[in-house]
Amino acid sequence: MTTAGMAQIAEPVAVIQAKRKRRTRRSVVSSGLWYIVLIAIAVITVFPFFWMLMTSLKGPGDPVYSIPPQFIPSDPSLGAYQRVLAALPIPTYFLNSLIVAVSVGALNVLVAAMAAYPLAKMRFFGRDAIFYALLATLIVPAQLTYIPSFVLSVNVFHYYNTLAALIFPNLVSAFNIFLLRQAFRSVPNDLIDAARVDGAGEWRIWWSILLPIVRPSLAAVAIFTFVTSWNDFLWPSLMLHTPNGLTLPVGLAALQSFFQSDFRSIAAGVTITVVPILLFFIVVQRYFVKGLAGAVKG
Amino acid sequence: MTRKRSITPYTFLLPALVVLGIFVVYPIIAVIYYSFTDYDIATPPVWVGLDNYAKLLGDETFRLALVHSFVYLLVTPILIFLSIVLAIVVNRRMRGIHIFRALYFVPAVSGSIAIGLAWKWLFDRNGLINSVLQSWGVITVPIQWLATPSLVLPIAMLLTTWAGVGFYSVIFLAGLQNIPEELYDAALIDGCTNFQKHRYVSIPGLRPQIVFVAVISSLAALKVFDEIYVLTNRTGGILDSGVTMVFYLWKEAFQLSNAGYASAIAIALLAITLVFSVFNVRILESRDEGAT
Repeated sequence: MTTAGMAQIAEPVAVIQAKRKRRTRRSVVSSGLWYIVLIAIAVITVFPFFWMLMTSLKGPGDPVYSIPPQFIPSDPSLGAYQRVLAALPIPTYFLNSLIVAVSVGALNVLVAAMAAYPLAKMRFFGRDAIFYALLATLIVPAQLTYIPSFVLSVNVFHYYNTLAALIFPNLVSAFNIFLLRQAFRSVPNDLIDAARVDGAGEWRIWWSILLPIVRPSLAAVAIFTFVTSWNDFLWPSLMLHTPNGLTLPVGLAALQSFFQSDFRSIAAGVTITVVPILLFFIVVQRYFVKGLAGAVKG
Repeated sequence: MTRKRSITPYTFLLPALVVLGIFVVYPIIAVIYYSFTDYDIATPPVWVGLDNYAKLLGDETFRLALVHSFVYLLVTPILIFLSIVLAIVVNRRMRGIHIFRALYFVPAVSGSIAIGLAWKWLFDRNGLINSVLQSWGVITVPIQWLATPSLVLPIAMLLTTWAGVGFYSVIFLAGLQNIPEELYDAALIDGCTNFQKHRYVSIPGLRPQIVFVAVISSLAALKVFDEIYVLTNRTGGILDSGVTMVFYLWKEAFQLSNAGYASAIAIALLAITLVFSVFNVRILESRDEGAT
């Protein structure tokens, strides 16, 4: 397909240029249409959050349910936020989530980057066996391991009901090792050999040569793992049970049963928890998207 | 390439292997053992042989969970289609396109509990959807969306799709940007319409991404839990209408303290995932030009 395409563009360059010109003229008209399409899609993706925000700001004078629906509060109030913050220690949950997600993100980068180096750049007995075993663990649904992990947390590690229970089992994922192995493999061997000739040890090579080169991949792994850990729900909900010891998603689920049908408060709770991760995402978006895309190069 | 026999490679690998050994390999072995026992986590397991598996075969809820999990896989082709369309839509140079791409990603980073609650509020009896439909005169009495057994699963699947499209389209967008411009020029000369251009250039060019997203999203569909948990208020829905494999596993293990029976469910889930993935992983690996 590629060669056929190449052969054909060799001659009628003028044709292409003419068509492109026509395209640009037309695009002035059609770009307006494209913006309508783009905005319509944005409405679909963002609308549920907008509705949450509006509901959370509705004051006592505004109905949460009416026909037709009332979108903009006429009597805006922060009362729902006050109720949520009075009922649940949201700042503590935020801090708990932050401790867990930062630890899990940082430790994953370290442990996965260590494991990825020999798998990418060394020859040793059992390498392929280890690599395929790692790949196999990618398939195993994490939920499958929760019963034994629960037993371990209570009987062996004694970290049930502490934040450590969310950190230790998630210290490394095979996915991250796989991703960083791919990144390391793109580093030229000559670079490593030259360092060896100069007498650098493997740890030195790993730290001073490989890690700086694959920094974008490390950032992607860190961000990806951070967001996954921040939003993790099932395992944290099994481990955490003290009112002050929850993470945000677990606290949010508790909020649902706490406020039952007080939708203003539930909406306020959702808004409070979504805003920080969205702000974080906006700041790191570039690296995150680049890393996510780089993970599946064709 | 180092060829010398040394322990260095193993020291690099040690922390990862220890963690995965304790939290992945050991649990798989343990869960196989538990599946042959009567176990409530609090007291030691008692060997019961194949009793759990025998019970599984006659269990109507398990059968339902199995069906629901397979139905949930329908999300995968829909997600792939919509994500490719979205990637094509945002793959153009326009003022502010980055803002739109970021907006489409919002559901993917917000967390399943938050978006689950947002959707629950839309589909509530007193929610926006009923309110809009009533004001348009489409319905006269509010619909109990999430209390209607036949609607629970479709709404959860819609939620999964809505949350996933932005995420997966980023992968497809990167794939599209790797396709050489010349191929599109050639298509233009051959007189392809816009649709044909994507059908014969974009789709074949995206093959690796399609395989990747198919694997990732179908594995995710097989272990869906959070959406069901939130939308059904942790009940699994009226008449178990929203119960999936993982939800049933969770309910048996951690709500009803039947960890032995739940382990048998886990083994069934593992068997299905394995059969499903062996094929998929082969395709993935064939792209990975053999290690040196």
